[in-house]
Amino acid sequence: MAEKVIKKKYALVTGGSRGIGSAVCKQLAQDSEYHILINYNSNENAAKATLQEVEQAGGQGTIIKFNVTDSESVKSSLDAWAEVNKNAVIEVIINNAGITKDGMFMWMQPDDWHNVINTSLNGFFNVTNHLIQKLLVNRYGRIVNMVSVSGLKGNPGQVNYSAAKGAVIAATKALSAEVAKRNITVNAVAPGFIKSDMTADLDEKELKKMIPANRFGEAEEVAQLVSFLVSKKASYITGEVININGGIYS
Amino acid sequence: MNKEEIVEKVNFFLVDEFEVEEDDMSPDANLKETLELDSLDFVDLVVAVESNFGTKLIGEDFNGVETLQDFYDLIERKIS
Repeated sequence: MAEKVIKKKYALVTGGSRGIGSAVCKQLAQDSEYHILINYNSNENAAKATLQEVEQAGGQGTIIKFNVTDSESVKSSLDAWAEVNKNAVIEVIINNAGITKDGMFMWMQPDDWHNVINTSLNGFFNVTNHLIQKLLVNRYGRIVNMVSVSGLKGNPGQVNYSAAKGAVIAATKALSAEVAKRNITVNAVAPGFIKSDMTADLDEKELKKMIPANRFGEAEEVAQLVSFLVSKKASYITGEVININGGIYS
Repeated sequence: MNKEEIVEKVNFFLVDEFEVEEDDMSPDANLKETLELDSLDFVDLVVAVESNFGTKLIGEDFNGVETLQDFYDLIERKIS
C-alpha cells in the first residue's frame, strides 16, 4: 500500500516582515501548527528578525521575497518555492501587505493613487488568485485580508487608501460567497490606529482623544484576532469585516 | 497521442476521480450533468487534466464545451 505523504501546512503572510504582519507571523507560530511563510519585498533583515521571533515562539518558518504588486514576481517566487517544497501546502493566506501615501485628494499625484491601489488591492488579487485553485482542490483554506477603518468610513487625506481597502472589503464578501462550499473562509480585519511604522508619525496624544478606548492598539491585539479567524474555531465565520479599533467606528 | 487514446485516458480518470458510471459516458452526454459539476468543481477537472495530460486549462477553454465529445476535442486541441 502506498504510504500517505503528510503535507507540511503553511500560512503565508504578505508584508510579514514588519508591523502587524510580523506580529501575525509570531502569533500564528505560537497558536497554530502552521509553518509560517514570511513574505517581504525589500527589507530582508526585518524578515529574518521576524523569522527568528517565529522560531523563538516555538514555530518554524521561511522567508520569501516577492513584490505583491507584480503578478510575475508573485507567481515565479511561489512556484519556485513550491517546486523545492513538494510536500508543502499553503492553507492560509494573510493578505497584509499595504502602503499609505497620504495627502489631500486635490494634490494627489497619479503615482500615489496607483501605488496604494497596486499594493493593497492588486496585491490581494495577485497572491490570492495564484493560490486559490490549490485551496479549492484541497477543500480547505483560510484567507484573511488586512483592511482598515479607512476602507469602511473613509478618512480625509486617504482617498487612495480608503478606495483600496474598501475594494478589498467588497472582494472579501464576494469571494467568500464563491468559495464557502469548499470550507474556505474569507474575512477581513479592519484595524483602527495601531502602533506600527505606519502610525509612527501620527500625534498619538491628540488622536487618542477621539478613540473611546483612549489609546492606540497594539499589533499583537490585531494578530490575536487574525489567529482566531485562522483557527478551526472560526469555521462558520466568513465574508465578515471585523473591526478592531478601540470603539472608534462601532 | 491519438484520439482514441485521449478518450480512453479521459474516461479512465472520470470514472476514477469523478465516480462517473462508465455506461453514462457517451460522447454526446452533457459534461456538466454527467459529472454533476457545479462551477467550483471545474477546478478538479482542470487539475485532473493537468496531471494526466500536462496541460493547464483556463476558464475560457470551457466556452462552448457542452458534451463529452467537446471535452475530448478540447484536450486534443490543447495537447496538439
